Amino acid sequence: MKLLRVQNEHYVFRLTVWERKLLAVVLNLYPVIPAAHQTLSKFPATTDKTNQKLLDEALAEHRNENKKLVRAFLADGRRFRETDISSWMTLSAAEIEWLLQVLNDIYVGNWILLGSPDEGKWDITPNEENVRHLGAMQLAQNFQGALLDAVSGP
Amino acid sequence: MPEVMPDLERGEESKSKSEKEPGYVVICWNDPVNLMIYVTHVFQVVFGWQKSKAEFHMKQVHNLGKSVLVRESLEKAEHFVHQLQKYSLHATMERDE
Repeated sequence: MKLLRVQNEHYVFRLTVWERKLLAVVLNLYPVIPAAHQTLSKFPATTDKTNQKLLDEALAEHRNENKKLVRAFLADGRRFRETDISSWMTLSAAEIEWLLQVLNDIYVGNWILLGSPDEGKWDITPNEENVRHLGAMQLAQNFQGALLDAVSGP
Repeated sequence: MPEVMPDLERGEESKSKSEKEPGYVVICWNDPVNLMIYVTHVFQVVFGWQKSKAEFHMKQVHNLGKSVLVRESLEKAEHFVHQLQKYSLHATMERDE
């Protein structure tokens, strides 16, 4: 996936047909991070339970909204211009932001499903059980990298 | 009596003032998974910081294990924690003691 140009505050990317299919498969994994994973405080015992509940509800609402956006995104035929060998995908800056959130949820969520391995302990041997999570992480990271390169600039 | 009145007034003032004062810190904690370029980008978007400031805090997170990002009132601190968690960063708020 490569950035072709930025035009009228919209980013135009070129994807191979293969990449477009992979993007759809990866995005359909969302959400992956367990619902109760985030806490308001590092020390949850000291947190006001009402405030924690409000945060949980806000994040749940946000996940539902993102799920709808993913479905609409993948169903929007105008977003992708197809040729025989590639697709051109147009995104606004706001769309890149929610795509980054979705992709990072998939990336971090699969890391959690792998047991949240610590830094320096990434010598996980791929096997039939974990290859799904390792593959999803790698793919999410690749798409995330392309989006970040486009918006981060020099 | 006259001596008491100013104290009462000051008490009321300080109460409403303390609710608005920055009594909470928003902290981002290190994790071994989020990419440095991603964390920098999120700080820029959520706080509107220049890249250099965002990178400074990202490096604090990476090297020191955490970075205090802002000191805010309860409501604003909750808002920022929610924004950072939407991006799946490990962010919390704690009382500024």
